[in-house]
Amino acid sequence: MNIRCAKPEDLMHMQHCNLLCLPENYQMKYYLYHGLSWPQLSYVAEDDEGQVVGYVLAKMEEESEEDPHGHITSLAVRRSHRRLGLAQKLMDQTARAMVECFNAKYVSLHVRKSNRAALNLYTNTLKFTISEIEPKYYADGEDAFAMKRDLCSFALQNDVTPADPNSFFDNKKNEEK
Amino acid sequence: MDEKKCYEQKQYKNGLKFAKQILANFSDHGETLAMKGLILNCLGRKEDAYSFVRQGLRNNLKSHVCWHVFGLLQRSDKKYDEAIKCYRNALKWDKDNLQILRDLSLLQIQMRDLDGYKASEETRYKLFELRPTQRASWIGYAMSFHLLQDYDTALKILEEFRKTIQKTTYDYEYSELLLYQNLVIRESKNLHEALKHLNTYEANICDKVTLQELRGELYMKLGRKGDASEVYRGLIKRNPENRNYYLKLEEALGLATVEERLKLYEELKEKFPRAQVPKRLPLNYARGEELESLLDPYLRAALQKGVPPLFTDIQSLYSDPDKIQIVEKLMNSYLTNLEETGHLCETDNEFKEPASILYVLMFLAQHHSYLGDIEKALALMDRALEHTPTLIELYIVKGKILKHAGDYVGSYEALQEAQALDTADRYVNSKAASYLLKANLVRQAEEMCSKFTREGVTAMENLNEMQCMWFQTECAQAYYRLGQYGDSLRKCHEVDRHFTEIIEDQFDFHTYCMRKMTLRSYVELLRLEDVLRSNRFYWDAAQIAITIYLRLHDQPLSANTGENNINTGEC
Repeated sequence: MNIRCAKPEDLMHMQHCNLLCLPENYQMKYYLYHGLSWPQLSYVAEDDEGQVVGYVLAKMEEESEEDPHGHITSLAVRRSHRRLGLAQKLMDQTARAMVECFNAKYVSLHVRKSNRAALNLYTNTLKFTISEIEPKYYADGEDAFAMKRDLCSFALQNDVTPADPNSFFDNKKNEEK
Repeated sequence: MDEKKCYEQKQYKNGLKFAKQILANFSDHGETLAMKGLILNCLGRKEDAYSFVRQGLRNNLKSHVCWHVFGLLQRSDKKYDEAIKCYRNALKWDKDNLQILRDLSLLQIQMRDLDGYKASEETRYKLFELRPTQRASWIGYAMSFHLLQDYDTALKILEEFRKTIQKTTYDYEYSELLLYQNLVIRESKNLHEALKHLNTYEANICDKVTLQELRGELYMKLGRKGDASEVYRGLIKRNPENRNYYLKLEEALGLATVEERLKLYEELKEKFPRAQVPKRLPLNYARGEELESLLDPYLRAALQKGVPPLFTDIQSLYSDPDKIQIVEKLMNSYLTNLEETGHLCETDNEFKEPASILYVLMFLAQHHSYLGDIEKALALMDRALEHTPTLIELYIVKGKILKHAGDYVGSYEALQEAQALDTADRYVNSKAASYLLKANLVRQAEEMCSKFTREGVTAMENLNEMQCMWFQTECAQAYYRLGQYGDSLRKCHEVDRHFTEIIEDQFDFHTYCMRKMTLRSYVELLRLEDVLRSNRFYWDAAQIAITIYLRLHDQPLSANTGENNINTGEC
C-alpha cells in the first residue's frame, strides 16, 4: 500500500474508484477543477500495482467570510481494501496540507445519516463533530450531517506549522477569550 | 458599440433590438449582421447564426469584428482550426487587439500549436510592456518558451515577473509561482541552480511536501546522499505510509545487502509502530527462516484484527515459490491451532478472536485458487460460509474464485448474495454488475446498476453521463461476445466521446490556472491530455471497436443475414 498526494494523472483513476464505491458521482471536469485549484489537498492510496484503491478529493471553501477552511468533497476506499486504516491516513494527510498550504482552521464534510461506518470513522477516529443536519441533502432524499473537524488542535497535536502562524493561532486565542 | 455590450453582458434580446434598429437604416452593415448572427448562436439558432455571420463578413471583409465573430462562431462549434484562421484574419486588420490575441492564444494552446502560441505572445509582449500589471501575459509568454524548451528565455521572463510581486507574509500564489519556476530550472537540467533556488525561497514555499520531495530528488541526483537520507527521513515522519520514501531512503543510504535493509526496517518499525509500510516492505527482501520470523507476526496481527485484504497484500510475494511454501506452512499451522485450541499459536493465547478462523479459511482459499486448485479453494470457502453465512467478504471472494475458474454464472450468483446482504454498498453492487456482464447478462447488469443511478433516466444513460467507463467497456465486451456488434460499437463510441470531452475540458483551465497560479499542475495537465488516450479504458474500447470493424470489413453483413442488430447509425 502506498499513500501519496494525487497528481493530475491520478484524477481519472479516482473517478473510477468513486464510481465503483459511491452513489455521488462527478464528471471528470470536477476532478480536474479540484486537482488544478488545490493540487496539495487530494490524496490517493494505491496498491502494489499502482491501482488507486482509495482517495480523498478535497478543496478549500473560498466564497465564505468565515475563517479559511477546507472541505472534503469525496472520500472512498474500495471494499476490497477496508480495515487497513486507509481512510484515516488519507484524511490526516489532507488535513495537514490544508493547514500548511492554506491556513485552514477547520475542515468540513457531509455524510449520510444512515452511513454508520463513515460516521464512526469521522466521529471517533478523526474527531469530527456534527455541526448541523441538512434535510434532504442527497439526491435520493436522505438527510446529511454536516460535520467539522477543528484543525487548530490537529496542528498542535501533530506539530504542523500553518501557512501563517500569526493569524492561525491568534484567532484561536481570541475564540478562547 | 451597444450591440456588442449586450452580447458581452448576455442581454441577447436587447442586442437583437439594437441590431434591428441599425439594420433598419443600414441593411447591409457587415459588423451588425455578424453580431446579430453571434447573438442568434447564443440563443441556439445555429443555422440563422451562420447565415447572418457569413453575410456580414461578405459585406465587410476588412473588418476585424466580422472575422473575430466568425472565429467565435466556429469555436463554439469546436472547429478550432477554422477558428484559428479567422482570428488570424481578424488580426490582419487590427494587429494589437488584445481580446483577439487572447482568444487566439487559447486556441493555440488547446491545439498545441506552440510555435503559433509563442508568436502570438510575442505580439502580446509589446502590449505588456505597456501593461506590466497583466500577469497572465507574463506567465503565458514565459510558458510558451518553456513548452518549446527554450528554458533560458522562459526563466528570464519568470524572474522578471517574480520581482514584480509584492510579497506578503503568506502568499499561496507566490509559492506556486516559485515551484513553477523551479520546475523550469530543473527541466533546463541545471540541478545546482534548482537546489539553490529551493534553498533561497524555502520560507516562501508553503507546499512543504513538494519542497522536500524536490530537495530529496535533487540531493540524490547531485550525489549528496547523506543530505538526501535526512530529507527522506523527514518525509517518512510526515507520511509513514509512502512506500517511495522508504525506497529512496534505502537508496540514499546505499544499502546493498538484505541484512542492512532489514536492520533499517527494524529501526523504522519501532519509530512508526502504527505504519504498515515498514512492516510490509521487509517481507519482499527476507528469505527462508528470516522471512518466516517476520511473516508470522505480520500475518497473525492481520488475522486477529480481521483484515480481509490480507491475501491481496501478500500476493506479490508469490512470484517466489519458496515464499509461497512459507506462507502456506504458516497458514496451515494457524488453521490446525485454531481447530485444536482456538488460538492462532501457542505463544499467542491471550487474545482470542472468533472470526480469525474465517480469515484463515478465506486466505487459504485464495491461496489455493491462485495455485490453480479450485476444488480445494471452494471447499475452504464452503467451510467458511458454513461458519458465518453473513460475512459479505466471503461471497465476494467466492465470486472472484469462481470467476477465475471461468464459472461466470456461479460468480455472479455469489455476488448477488453479497449484494442482498448489504444493498447500501455500491462496491458490492458494482462487482455484481461486472460479473453479470462477464456472463453476458447485460440487461440484468443494467438493472443491478440502476439501484445506484439517478431516478428518471435509464441506468445506461446515467452511467454514460457520469463517464462510467468500466461499465461501458465491459458492456461493449459482453455485446461483442453476444455478436451484437452494433450495440457493442455504440458503447465503444460512448467511451471515445468521454475522452474527446476530457480533452475539451482543458479549455477553461488555460485561463483559470494562470489566474490561480497553479502552473505546475497546469503543465502536468497539458502533458497528461497529450497522452490521454493511453488510458486502459480507451485501449479496451478501441480494441473491441477495431476487432469489430475489421470483422465487418472481412465479412460484410448482407441485408438478409438476419443479423439486424447492426446499428451503426450513431457511430
